[in-house]
Amino acid sequence: MSDSAAASPSRRLWPEWVTLAARLVLGVVVLVAGLLKVTQLDASIQSVRLYQILPWDVAAYVGTALPIIEIATGLLLITGTFTRISAVVGSLLMLAFIIGIASVWARGISIDCGCFSPGAAVDAGQTQYPLEILRDTGLLLCGVWTVCRPRSPFAVDNWLFAPVTELADHPESTTAEDKEPTR
Amino acid sequence: MTQNNRERLRQAQAAAAKQQRLNRIIGVGAGVLVVVLIGVFIGVLVQNQSHQAATSAAAVTPPNATSDGKAIVISPGVTKQGAPVVELFFDYQCPYCKLLETTYGGTLTSLAASGDIELHYRTMSFLDASLNNDASLRAGIAATCADTVGKYSEFHNEIYTEQPETEGEGYSDTALRDSIPAALGIIGNDLTTFQSCYDKQSTKGFVTTMGDLGIQDLQSINNQVSTPTVHVNGKDLPVSDIGQVQPDGLLDLIKQHA
Repeated sequence: MSDSAAASPSRRLWPEWVTLAARLVLGVVVLVAGLLKVTQLDASIQSVRLYQILPWDVAAYVGTALPIIEIATGLLLITGTFTRISAVVGSLLMLAFIIGIASVWARGISIDCGCFSPGAAVDAGQTQYPLEILRDTGLLLCGVWTVCRPRSPFAVDNWLFAPVTELADHPESTTAEDKEPTR
Repeated sequence: MTQNNRERLRQAQAAAAKQQRLNRIIGVGAGVLVVVLIGVFIGVLVQNQSHQAATSAAAVTPPNATSDGKAIVISPGVTKQGAPVVELFFDYQCPYCKLLETTYGGTLTSLAASGDIELHYRTMSFLDASLNNDASLRAGIAATCADTVGKYSEFHNEIYTEQPETEGEGYSDTALRDSIPAALGIIGNDLTTFQSCYDKQSTKGFVTTMGDLGIQDLQSINNQVSTPTVHVNGKDLPVSDIGQVQPDGLLDLIKQHA
């Protein structure tokens, strides 16, 4: 009895550890990306403009808001607060980056130093696009996993969304409470 | 009866506990939202502030800047009638810009000095974004500050001499503020003027705007932002074409494209 009881929750637990890893990886990357940009908002705005997707003025707002949203999303994912919503935001960010890079790649725009002699010199920007897309796809998978299975250890959510526990001297109502959706 | 009362009490307690849980979730959620909104607000505020500071009393427009703020003119006032306008778009952190500069920079500046072309230097700082530093911007500020003491062209060349082997290492403040002026013999009052301009980032607003205008023109004319790019009378002169000619054939090539 005690053996099976100990074994089943641990078997149930392994996806939760994967979620912990996924949200930490995505969270740290997004947080660092935001921190690198937040001190240089001019550069952040300019890099949004270089993708030539958004109108000139809109790019200024996106370039300013993006690092702050990234920092917030990163912190929420790392701490496991509103994990599912944060993972949705993180996944959308990654999706936007992938679309941006793919579109720039497809249009043959090199967001890097130009090509002095085309063909002769390998354009650094061009060769990096597949790698960047691969990296962001991996991060997107982390995000999607976390959206599907937001439960994980060491998460603020475990306290925040803790089920209502009845007083100890009413065991019958505790079982009733168990049927309630906890999330 | 007592059973009923106890049941009611338990239900009340359960409801209170649920309400408490809900309040906790809403409270934390609202807190997170407020913090993010404040963050965005501060970001926009800081951004506006830095732009205001750039256009404030400390702001300096380089004396040889064009009136539209797009470029610095090399050897102004000696240009012959009908000479083609050559615009050079570059970023101080771009290795190919250095290559172009070493091979053709001298020819371009002497053509400007003889009045055969009207030479506009258009500094970009877009590589800062991809290299995660601010070296292009600071180098641009230093060069335009050097214009206030009449040493723009020389300073421009010297920056490329100091360009690090590895793209992305950037320029140190010491190089831009001390070594390069020393190498160019900027001393005394000129040095004080230059260094105060650099320390206060007096030309930052000008350089930032120059970069924005450069991106706009490259996006509309070349449909892509890359450096080095050369425009003759507002049309692209492919840098690969320039690579085909010797420096002494550059003027003919420019005239063909004019």
